[in-house]
Amino acid sequence: MLAEPGQRVKIKVKVNGVEYEEEVEPRKLLVDFLRENLNLTGTKIGCDTTTCGACTVLVNGKSVKSCTMLAVQANNKEVVTIEGLSTDSRLSVVQQAFKDNFALQCGFCTAGMIVQAHYILKEKKPLSEEEVRDLIHGNICRCTGYQNIVNAIMDASRRMGA
Amino acid sequence: MSYSGKSVKRLYDDKFVTGRSTYVDDIKTNALYAGFVRSNMAHGKIKAINVDDAMKMNGVVAVFTGNELNQIIKGGIGPWTTYIDPRPWKIPLWRFAQGETKYNGEPVAMVIASDKYTAEDAVKAINVEIEPLDAVIGMDEAKQDKVLVHKELGTNFGFVGDFNAGDADKALSSADRKVEVEIANNRLIPSPMEPRGIISQYDGVNLTIWYSTQIPHFARSEFSRIFGLPESRIRVVMPDVGGGFGSKAHIIPEELAVIAASMRLGKAVRWTATRTEEMMATNSRHNVFKGEIGFKNDGTLVAIKGTLDVELGAYLTYTEGLQPTIIPPMIPGPYRVRDLAIKSRAIYTNTIPITMYRGASRPEATFIIERIISTVADELGMDDVEVRLRNLVREDQMPYTNPFGLKYDTGDYPTLLKEGVRVMEYQKMKEWAAEERKKGKKVGVGLAYYLEICGFGPYEFSETRVTDDGSVIVSIGGTPHGQGTETAIAQLVADELQIPIERIKITWGDSEAVPAGTGTYGSRTLAIAGSAAISSSRQVLEKMKRVAARSMKADVEEIDYKNGEFVHKKDGRKMTWNEVAKEAYSGREPGLSASVMLEGDVTFPYGVHMAVVEVDDYGIARVKEYRAYDDIGRVINPALAEGQVHGGGTQAVGQALYELAIINENGQLAVTYADYYVPTAVEAPKFKSYFAEKYHPSAYLTKSKGVGEASLIVGPAAIVRALEDATGKRFNKTPVTPEDILK
Repeated sequence: MLAEPGQRVKIKVKVNGVEYEEEVEPRKLLVDFLRENLNLTGTKIGCDTTTCGACTVLVNGKSVKSCTMLAVQANNKEVVTIEGLSTDSRLSVVQQAFKDNFALQCGFCTAGMIVQAHYILKEKKPLSEEEVRDLIHGNICRCTGYQNIVNAIMDASRRMGA
Repeated sequence: MSYSGKSVKRLYDDKFVTGRSTYVDDIKTNALYAGFVRSNMAHGKIKAINVDDAMKMNGVVAVFTGNELNQIIKGGIGPWTTYIDPRPWKIPLWRFAQGETKYNGEPVAMVIASDKYTAEDAVKAINVEIEPLDAVIGMDEAKQDKVLVHKELGTNFGFVGDFNAGDADKALSSADRKVEVEIANNRLIPSPMEPRGIISQYDGVNLTIWYSTQIPHFARSEFSRIFGLPESRIRVVMPDVGGGFGSKAHIIPEELAVIAASMRLGKAVRWTATRTEEMMATNSRHNVFKGEIGFKNDGTLVAIKGTLDVELGAYLTYTEGLQPTIIPPMIPGPYRVRDLAIKSRAIYTNTIPITMYRGASRPEATFIIERIISTVADELGMDDVEVRLRNLVREDQMPYTNPFGLKYDTGDYPTLLKEGVRVMEYQKMKEWAAEERKKGKKVGVGLAYYLEICGFGPYEFSETRVTDDGSVIVSIGGTPHGQGTETAIAQLVADELQIPIERIKITWGDSEAVPAGTGTYGSRTLAIAGSAAISSSRQVLEKMKRVAARSMKADVEEIDYKNGEFVHKKDGRKMTWNEVAKEAYSGREPGLSASVMLEGDVTFPYGVHMAVVEVDDYGIARVKEYRAYDDIGRVINPALAEGQVHGGGTQAVGQALYELAIINENGQLAVTYADYYVPTAVEAPKFKSYFAEKYHPSAYLTKSKGVGEASLIVGPAAIVRALEDATGKRFNKTPVTPEDILK
């Protein structure tokens, strides 16, 4: 079915454990839906070519660049954003490891990087440094030189008992 | 209790790791969205802009062109007169395109719509008719002055200056050897992860601007000049800023258009650049040095003579005027050469205007001088370390005034080189690489030396205020945007006031909350804003002693202060920090604050960096390891300093090997973020960062010098040297591409 200009489609999405029913234009990107409709601005927009990874979120447990997916494609799916990784009082192991290892500078790539780190550490398998570098190569950081990010992810992996 | 010198954790990281940070695009306001229609020609006459279809669209509020916008944008973008003397320059008026377009990608019309999707639709619905005019894309063609970017200037040379010291011709004629050199830094894109962004709100009297910037106070004065409003009616707020690297220390026409539109409509207007727009807003570097060098058979460099051509693009940006005037006097670097003749020229072309990027001028100067020194080594078959030791300024010559009058403050350059070579295990790595090459692997090790210039004035502001509950707010004019300097400054203040760091809040970046400020660029913030913070804190402490004395009915000389307690020397009576703070707010002159305006002077950090590279069969190079040994004066927070070395080093990898802002024959930027190769974790090397065993302090209270740009200043030279070691070829430009390597 082709969408008419101005047409709106009703979608049901569970984001960070909360059910939302919203009307969106079929062309609306998931990242804009999260930022504009749900006011979840932790997910950032860094580029328009699906290159930088600042907008990384989890959709049904898989890491996805939310600028490369339409909001309507998230219909009936579960999305987790950076805001869903911690409770108010407690950082996730990965978040704490980023903080402890100086794994951020300007902070703009950080949300996407941490979401990606959660994804790659999900199975609690031991990872080599080379593997970690390879698994985050879709997330660009312009500030840190990555070494402290890699250290943070390795540290989190150890803390999670991998 | 002492915080300085320790890797204290960054104070404000929680919001970043939890997604509660607030960059400009995260601010919720009832604002309209701007979108820009751009020129697809390098030079052309704007014949017509057809807006009817766009205006009919639901949600489109207005379409503006230069005709309307330039009635409000009165002053236009000018050079940064704090550092750039505009008198020798030829400067075109730069406002919103009107009548003509001067570069491909230049905004020629602006759409104001209810949301960003509608704005984008409307941009596409606008048809601009541009009649092509002759254009000059390359500097070589522009230098002929046959086709002019700005007819009214009568030339494409924006600046021509002679930087002469000693007698280069005489030194050349008496040199044992002479060699011609050509060294180029190609066009780059700084690429902070957060693209540029601005929200402008005008209520008929006051203008409030949320702006992703490194220079909120300078921006306020520029906006005041450009829009003809008093500074008191302009407030510039810098929220969280997602990287700058110099690119956010200048102003672009899109931003002026957003402000103009908000003034015209009396409504808030916002714009966040897409990455594609960001890439067109901020290009950097691109300069070529061609000349001749003379040296003795013992490796002593005696003369440098040549011409430096610096590209400007179509307009003189706020910052680019720095390059042609800072590169030449920095070319001697840490070496004793005193006979130089450098003609520096800045050239307009019909391309994206060029602005500064991390290190601005020192990476270029360092690449030039380090290539020269390595050339001397190669010509004479000398070792890289030996040739440098032969030429470095000695400790007994410090402070050393370079032939162009720059006064190098403190340091021991030869000792640092020897220590650095030992600590970084340079010789061992060279031997290892030679062995690997025998086995057929293309690996190489290279080093380069640098002298930076940091701590720029003219001044920095700081206010320390103790609140009535005894907590401390320090406002600084420096504006960190990711470096973590605010944490280091809190460390300094905590030590000065002898209170826990948790009680201190550092604030910056709001031109109304902070009375004055210069900003963060040029690795100046810790040295100068940090010193200002120490000074204002000292003054507050003196005031607190007076309050304690008054309260105890004693003379101020009778009061001692230590670790949060004011003690009467004779009778031992005590008042706690909190008691004094509370007391200070109960009098007729309530409050406890002190502010200072600290004058700045430049500092000269220096160091030696080393790169290990590997090249594959396809000519693709990777930097496997990067090691740095720096004297940056006193190190306040080693982890933060190391972070700057890592980050700059990764950008150096990009500049040396991967990043190239290709401009095609139509003057169009011919790369996207998918093929402008910013290094990822896979291309980034492993880092080892060391600081001098015995540091040489700066004259600042912090004794620190600055480190933010060091590895991008020296990294490209070190990496290119390693590539030469790996391949046996000579490379005198960045980036060195696989094609260059395989050629």
